[in-house]
Amino acid sequence: MNRPLPLFRRSMLDGWRGLLGWTIGILAALFLYLPLYPSFGGNGQMQQIIDTLPPELVRSLNYDQIGSGPGYAQATFYGLIGFVLLTIAAVGWGTEAIANDEENGQLELTLAHGVLRGQVLAERSAAVLVKLAWLAIVSVVVVMALNEPAELGIEFGNLVATAVAFLGLVSLAATAAIGVGAATGRRTWAVSAGSGIAVVAYALNALGNQSDELSWLHDWSPYSWAYGDSPILNGWNGTIWLNYAVIAVLLLVGWLVFRRRDVAV
Amino acid sequence: MTTDTEAAVSTRGLTKRYGATTALHGLDLDIPRGSVFGMIGPNGAGKTTTMRLLLDIIRPTGGDLTVLGRSPRGGGAELRRRIGYLPGELHLGTRVKGREFLAHYAEISGPVRKGAVDDLADRLGVDLGRPVRSLSKGNKQKVGLIQAFMHEPELLVLDEPTSGLDPLVQQEFHAMLHEAKAKGQTVFLSSHVLSEVQQTAHEIAILKQGRIVERSTVAALRENAVRHVKLVVAEADAASARSTLDALPGVADAASVPNGPGTVALTATLDSHVDAFVKAVALLDLVDLTMEEPDLEEMVLAYYGTDLSSTAEPVDADRKPVKR
Repeated sequence: MNRPLPLFRRSMLDGWRGLLGWTIGILAALFLYLPLYPSFGGNGQMQQIIDTLPPELVRSLNYDQIGSGPGYAQATFYGLIGFVLLTIAAVGWGTEAIANDEENGQLELTLAHGVLRGQVLAERSAAVLVKLAWLAIVSVVVVMALNEPAELGIEFGNLVATAVAFLGLVSLAATAAIGVGAATGRRTWAVSAGSGIAVVAYALNALGNQSDELSWLHDWSPYSWAYGDSPILNGWNGTIWLNYAVIAVLLLVGWLVFRRRDVAV
Repeated sequence: MTTDTEAAVSTRGLTKRYGATTALHGLDLDIPRGSVFGMIGPNGAGKTTTMRLLLDIIRPTGGDLTVLGRSPRGGGAELRRRIGYLPGELHLGTRVKGREFLAHYAEISGPVRKGAVDDLADRLGVDLGRPVRSLSKGNKQKVGLIQAFMHEPELLVLDEPTSGLDPLVQQEFHAMLHEAKAKGQTVFLSSHVLSEVQQTAHEIAILKQGRIVERSTVAALRENAVRHVKLVVAEADAASARSTLDALPGVADAASVPNGPGTVALTATLDSHVDAFVKAVALLDLVDLTMEEPDLEEMVLAYYGTDLSSTAEPVDADRKPVKR
């Protein structure tokens, strides 16, 4: 009662092991991929390999920019392995926040105490977003540290814009899981919503890359909102914030349903 | 603030429906402040539903409900700080240690007196230094009891509190209930068997299929309980003994059973009128007399078996006067 944010602190304390694990995973991915750039990205070797691949595959994987340092970081980490890793973490944490806690019976006990449902939702969402933000910050620090040795040539401002876009994209999956979990209390629905939105976002972007006739699909892909204008090359743009707007709507709708429904039934 | 004169819990026509199923059919309940109130009923009778409604975990479909003078919805977090709740199905899967777990719940409860958690842990005999999820069912239940009692709430809502506890700990728990009552706290507890509440509860309500089928005190239940009696007389006195029995009020099911050479045993059931019975049979030449302690559990089971299909309306709760 005296110290602020009891549920936020509890979530952070409960999740530190997991966060440590994910931090190690992000570090491993970055240290595996980025130092390889000078050896075959920078000297055109990578471009030769890319040229042998079917163009549809290259477009699906967003590998068309891979010949440049920023494009390489974007295509390997922010667009692919980092996106996959953080989406898994995001959906896991997002499902845990309400749905999992409700299904295993512990939410009932928490709500029977001196807390409001909106407070539970807000503090636990904040904990998930802070953990994801931490991982995004780790990526920025590591990319900056490797920028010179790996000859990536990424500008700091553009990297920050990319990390913010990245955070918005993975947080969207997290809040889809949180919001649907808050509205339904069902673990499977929360997982489906979180992972579903990430898969759909990626698929719409990959399809939109295939041809001009399909490029309108980009308008509906949160993945394209984040990366469509290549923030790692061009810096900030407005569509990055679209994901944050959808996040706010998901949390709001989740809260409106959560505050009036029966829990633990 | 509320005054001490109003009931701790008061419901009028409290109804809860889940889709097509009705869990509670218009419950009328008053739990006076400072009392220990037991709610018993078979599984699925609506005990847990009633308790969850008090804590605002679920919302009523109809009727009125006040807890410590407030509606659970309107009272919000402030009201819940004044309540201690033990869920019927307590799942504690966290790897956090017991002490840390309770410290978290203390932060979101009413103020917890320094040392209260350790005192309770000592009384119940649970090691708070171990991860909660590694504790046995009974020890998890103790942790659940500690979080309900630690802030000395005005109202304790305990859903099957003794489940998983060994008899010694149950005794300690009963002592805790007596102390809570002595301090003016109100206790609302549930069980599917009477024996768990009869030592502590003053008033009880028997719930079946979402309706209160009986409301009484343990003393009144005992008074009205059916006793099994058996008297043994010489063969020559059998006829007069039988006519004495038949003439007595409250005696039913009288029957003669063989009892070895030269004697006859008469069995019967006796409904309340113990005094008249003893005085009447004292005039007989008895070889033996046995009167069994009334089996209250049996009485309650009889209520469980009551066919409610014919009574669309809730049973009139004022059928038997409640003694206070």
